Amino acid sequence: MLETQNLTKIYEDGRTAVDHLNLKVEPGEIFCMFGANGAGKTTTINLFLNFIPPTEGTALIEGIDVVREPLRSKEFVSFVSENVTLYGNFTAIQNLDYFTKLSGKRGLGKADYARALESVGLQKDVFDARSKTYSKGMRQKLGLAIAIIKDAPNIILDEPTSGLDPKSGQEFLNLLAGMRDKGKSVFMSTHDIFRAKMIADRVGFMKNGKMGLLMTRDELKGQDLTELYVQFMDERD
Amino acid sequence: MLKDIVKKEIVETITSPKFVFTFLLCAVLILLSVYTGITSYRAEQKEFNAAVALNKKNLESQTSYQTLAGLGTKINRPPQVLSAISSGIDEAIGRVAAVTIAYDPNLVDSKYSSNPVFSVFGALDLTFIVKIVLSLFAILFTYDAIVGEKERGTLKLTLSNKVPRDKLILGKVIGGYISLLIPLIIPLILSMLVLMLFPGIHLTGADWGRLLLMFLIFFLYLSVFFTLGLFVSARTSKSSTSFLVLLFIWVVFVTIIPKVSVLAASQIKPIPSVHEITSKKDAFLQQIQGGAQKEVMDWYKANSPKPGEDQAGFEEKFKKYLEDYQQRVTSEIDANNTALERDYQARKRAQEKLAINLSRISPASALTFSTMSLARTGLDEHQRFLDSIRAYKPIWTKWANAKMMSNIDFSGTGQTAKVVLDDMPQHSFQSETLSKSMIRTIPDIILMVVLIIVFFAGAYISFLKYDVR
Repeated sequence: MLETQNLTKIYEDGRTAVDHLNLKVEPGEIFCMFGANGAGKTTTINLFLNFIPPTEGTALIEGIDVVREPLRSKEFVSFVSENVTLYGNFTAIQNLDYFTKLSGKRGLGKADYARALESVGLQKDVFDARSKTYSKGMRQKLGLAIAIIKDAPNIILDEPTSGLDPKSGQEFLNLLAGMRDKGKSVFMSTHDIFRAKMIADRVGFMKNGKMGLLMTRDELKGQDLTELYVQFMDERD
Repeated sequence: MLKDIVKKEIVETITSPKFVFTFLLCAVLILLSVYTGITSYRAEQKEFNAAVALNKKNLESQTSYQTLAGLGTKINRPPQVLSAISSGIDEAIGRVAAVTIAYDPNLVDSKYSSNPVFSVFGALDLTFIVKIVLSLFAILFTYDAIVGEKERGTLKLTLSNKVPRDKLILGKVIGGYISLLIPLIIPLILSMLVLMLFPGIHLTGADWGRLLLMFLIFFLYLSVFFTLGLFVSARTSKSSTSFLVLLFIWVVFVTIIPKVSVLAASQIKPIPSVHEITSKKDAFLQQIQGGAQKEVMDWYKANSPKPGEDQAGFEEKFKKYLEDYQQRVTSEIDANNTALERDYQARKRAQEKLAINLSRISPASALTFSTMSLARTGLDEHQRFLDSIRAYKPIWTKWANAKMMSNIDFSGTGQTAKVVLDDMPQHSFQSETLSKSMIRTIPDIILMVVLIIVFFAGAYISFLKYDVR
């Protein structure tokens, strides 16, 4: 489970990026966070991963305070960034092997890595190709394979489908749905309203660091999410 | 985990095109420089042997001690085998010094004086390659070590795992350094094989000790730039900025500081020009020579035998007088020249010392001075050699004067004594011992170690606080 309690981040220049955010992403749930650039989505993710310290409040992963126990909390989370580039001179297998070892998992072999790569839809003939030759979609899948093989109960994704073609984007989201079905908590920041609506169990609209609107899958039924988004963004603070 | 990070750093680097390029270039440059250094040394050795033989032949062919004293003997500077690794000031200083009765000996006929265009480009020795080329490679290997990972997004992904930052930076340092050393170590081992197997090259145990110490200094020097690269990489948020900052620091370290130090030293501690000293010496010589003729004539007039007196006895007495007089005049000239020279040299050394100490802020200078000392191609070895010639000069002069005066022909027959060189004093010079050379390199080694510690600590602390976003 991912949770924030009054999580606040005010940068040195006085800008409030996240403002008393309270949020919970339960196991088996996909939570999609929308918001304009600078709304605070990526800052929230950076706070979860302890890349920056909060000004106030707490971020918890499986109930572990990420500031107090940063290394232990990272055992329980996988991260997929917007642009997974990885090590270009490494093959998919080599990249997978390295990050698997960093995650603390030992004893996995090439067959395990091949299975993980197959599960995200990568073709066998590219397993031993250098990842710098991969398309963006392939790299994102490789990033997801890294998350899958880590097998952490929580997954955080930062705009993972931006720049992907419709087919790759759809495949990627199907994979996420599969992870949700395995009981993982999935937190995803995205601009991809159309696809998010298809898989999200809940969505949140963020503006000026605050979560302005939270809606469940049922509440979203029959709603035009794009219109909601535009309305929310146009609303006065 | 540390092992995994180290392994990843090594594999990532050695599979990159920059490694292949670096390795090939290093191998070619290092082997080429050692090979050309060795062939150049062998040519110099031949020239040296020929020059020594020619000098002996010239001396032996002299018809009288008078002409021999006028011609003088030539002292040739023996080439140093390790100049193949660090040529130092070897090519800028003279290779031969004429020891005559009248003039203060000085080394002339340097390689650069015979081929001035060479001085524009300098020597392509191993020290030059390490100082310029490999230090740039060290920067090339590290400028994006941290900031590059941030730009690629791999740093975020790495640190989203249970990876302590201190282990990550340590792994990067160890793995990166090993990757940097591979293109250096393999050609260096091959170079050592070339040195061992090349005909006519004989390295003593001490020479090997010097060589290994020079290699250690090369590694330290590269470590300075390697840790500097990591430090700057951990202080910047763009790899292009990191590269520019490093390039600027490199230019300051390698070219600006050494040159500015020499200029600053010449301003802070000015010394008279060589021409000024030479003209003072000449003026004194003319003064002595002007009075000499009159003094000898006066003595001759006062002591010449009257008719019927012992002519042969007078000639012996006159010879003795001339010998003593010549020795006295030569001693006066030597004393004057020595005093002038001592003062000049003391001031010059003070200026040089200041320039060296100022430039030592730069690791490039520390590398140059320490390897020069170890290769025996530095300023100190040059000075010691010059001092040995200057110490030899009065010994030789005394011998030449004695021979010349005791063989003056008063008979008017024109017969002169055959020149015999068996008892001619020989110049000898002992090169600096390895232990003394090592002591001389200590300040440079300490300086480089301090810089490594400072840069590494800077990189380490900066990385612990590094903004990975």
